[in-house]
Amino acid sequence: MIRKLAGLPATLLATSFVIFGAAYAAPGDPVTFLAGGKDNLSPEHIAAVRAQYHLDDPFVVQYGRWLGDAVTGDLGRSLQYNDQVGDLLAARLPSTLGLVAYSTVLFVVFGVGLGVLAAVRGGRVDAAVVAGTTFATSVPPFVVATALISLFGVQLGWFPVLGGGSLWHLTLPAVTLATGALAIISRVTRQAMIEQRELDHVTVARASGLSERLIVVRHVLRGALGPIVTMCGLVTAGMLAGTVVVETAFGISGVGSLLVHAINTHDFPVTQAVLLLMVAAYITVTTLVELLQPLIDPRTRRAA
Amino acid sequence: MKKTLALAGLMGLVAACGGPAASGRAPDPAKLTLVDRTATAAGPLDSATWLLDEEPGTLDLDVDGGTPNRTVLANVCERLLQTQPDMTVKPWLAEKVERPDPRTMVLHLRADATFHDGSPVTADDVVWSLKRHAGDGMDESDEFEDVESVAKSGERRVTIAFKKPNALFEQAIAGGAGIVFDREVVEKHGKEFGSPESPDACSGPYRLKEWKSGSHLTIERHDAYWNKDVKPLTKTVTFTWADETAMVNSLATGAADGAYLSDTGPAVALQGNQAVTVAFGPTTRVFVLLPTDRGALKDPRIRRALSLAVDRAGIVRSGFAGLARPWKVPVGAGAWSYEKQAFQAAYDGLAGAPDTPQVEEARKLVQEAGAPATPIVVATNGEQTRNVIANAVVDAAKKIGLTAQIKTVPAAEYGSFYTDKALRAQVDLVPDDWYITKADPIGFYDNGLTGSSNNWVGYSSPAYDKLVASALAATDPARRAKDVIELQRLFTADMVWISLAEVPNAVVLGGKVTGPPASQVHLGYPWAADLGRKG
Repeated sequence: MIRKLAGLPATLLATSFVIFGAAYAAPGDPVTFLAGGKDNLSPEHIAAVRAQYHLDDPFVVQYGRWLGDAVTGDLGRSLQYNDQVGDLLAARLPSTLGLVAYSTVLFVVFGVGLGVLAAVRGGRVDAAVVAGTTFATSVPPFVVATALISLFGVQLGWFPVLGGGSLWHLTLPAVTLATGALAIISRVTRQAMIEQRELDHVTVARASGLSERLIVVRHVLRGALGPIVTMCGLVTAGMLAGTVVVETAFGISGVGSLLVHAINTHDFPVTQAVLLLMVAAYITVTTLVELLQPLIDPRTRRAA
Repeated sequence: MKKTLALAGLMGLVAACGGPAASGRAPDPAKLTLVDRTATAAGPLDSATWLLDEEPGTLDLDVDGGTPNRTVLANVCERLLQTQPDMTVKPWLAEKVERPDPRTMVLHLRADATFHDGSPVTADDVVWSLKRHAGDGMDESDEFEDVESVAKSGERRVTIAFKKPNALFEQAIAGGAGIVFDREVVEKHGKEFGSPESPDACSGPYRLKEWKSGSHLTIERHDAYWNKDVKPLTKTVTFTWADETAMVNSLATGAADGAYLSDTGPAVALQGNQAVTVAFGPTTRVFVLLPTDRGALKDPRIRRALSLAVDRAGIVRSGFAGLARPWKVPVGAGAWSYEKQAFQAAYDGLAGAPDTPQVEEARKLVQEAGAPATPIVVATNGEQTRNVIANAVVDAAKKIGLTAQIKTVPAAEYGSFYTDKALRAQVDLVPDDWYITKADPIGFYDNGLTGSSNNWVGYSSPAYDKLVASALAATDPARRAKDVIELQRLFTADMVWISLAEVPNAVVLGGKVTGPPASQVHLGYPWAADLGRKG
């Protein structure tokens, strides 16, 4: 555990170097965005802007300056937005976190529910769930977004078509984000349940005359919980990095759209901060899942 | 199973609607009427929601004068002079401009103007603001190249001395270069000025109420506004931002009341929608081809031939869905703020940039010049309009005995053509859109000067250079127009740039509102003050 936590700064340091290097090497020049208009691109103006933003310093000097500030908690100032990176992130994080949390609730509840249903009922129900979720995974998020917007936003007018903020605003985006995830979770649940049902202790329990409902809840589902929780954790961690499409479709100013914009305009400090945040969030979530494992499944605890 | 059915139903619906951005009919470009203003508002409005393409980066226009930033601040910050919806310029914070001699300008300031904190707009504020705009790296610093000094010369008087006569400076101070800041406020907030945490430092009919980074920005009517002749009808305007599709959906559902469009897409999608109106106004914006000195295009005959052969009407149809006009000069008609008839007559008389191709004439020019060995390379960033233009160039080249091919450059790198010589050396033609913020074509023609940073093809003509200087010095509009018309002739005769299409300014209004100008003036004129309830 301690080793894992100690590894986090090292991972972040290595990642920051790679990201900074990639952003530095990417084609295009931030000065064209900073100069403010094509008629402003005279050599004198460009030179002045370059000096102002230290764009001519060598790579190592730029990275060193960034790193020095970052360890003191100063993530720098955005080139595109005349604002502190910390403030920019703080303003946009709630939308993205709210969106991910909302859709995690949706895909866990409905995904596990459908998976259990398919495994327990079998037959036509199982076939329907498998067919439905196969379809759901194959539809790209932007298509789901367009469909939801045109039906529930434009045609019926039930939900707003733009912006974040309230749960109401976040419903369609969260459903969009949850659709693909829901399919994955329902399948993992179904598979794990089916495997558990064939294990000896379940057969024993069944032979001892316990009700089917109790068997499913106490033995099958409990035994299947390990892989389900792991998968839920991974999917949630992935979502933190994957809200871009949904944010763009619904016009939510979250961390995802901030990142895309920063990459397009060569806004180094913002790109760096957002990507590092995503990496840190991913590591944190997956570590949490690992820590949860022994609590769910006593066998892993014993093995450890 | 229910879920599958519901989703399948949705998919069918989307397929049937074709998606919001794809619907609508292409209008006939010949019937595109341009208006300065939308219908006058009937009454007051409590609040309006206005859409921008993206969130402003800063509300300090000296740091960045981007379109969303200007669209907001046009209502909040005032300039020494003000551009009107018909693109003419009238006195504003300066009630009179005197030119005692060609190298001196005296600004007489109003006595009654006040900033939002109630303090008066003084000569000291004006001097300080102009010097700030002129600072190194500031957005408007290029406007001050000819300025020798700025000084207070009386209680309400500021005198500007020029190194050489500059007739365009009045246009400049009706734009971003003439914004007057409250010195105290700007200095107090230092580096944070213009960020979401700082207030505005201006005197306009609206004041900045709240900017919640990443969410929205609100401006509010300033009830103690100094100019009692201006009566803004709308109390608060809330700005949000969205990409094209979300913009179309918001306007169609009434979630937003209006937007100035920077692309034709939403206008096309909203054309057939009864709930909204789209109005088109004069602009200086033109899509052009910028040639480089790499190879074949160095020869003016090849440039002229390509200009004759390219299908402008076709580009307007396919690249702009008809919401543009084939255009012969590099500046839109919105720049003709004086001597309009003279400019129009001169424009009508220009040859060399026809709506439909004149292939025979172009072929002769190519034969005369001799077809180059290497193919012409035309750039695109993969965006639809530029793709259409690039393909039109390839097509035109083929018809007149040249070969051409397309090179796609990442969108984030496209702007580097202006700064990176090595990148420029890979292509012969760069399609791009250009506008000038000053309503005077002379604001553009310095791009053709020998050695100008946007004169990539290396055009050099002593007569042209002399004429630019003469036009810039001509404070008499009729004389300046004469010079500009001659510049326009020289520029298009040699096709320093090849002009393709004029893209009008467009404003979309929801069912409840009307009143703001339709012309490009929304970048500097307090348009929200004219916005109100529809009758």
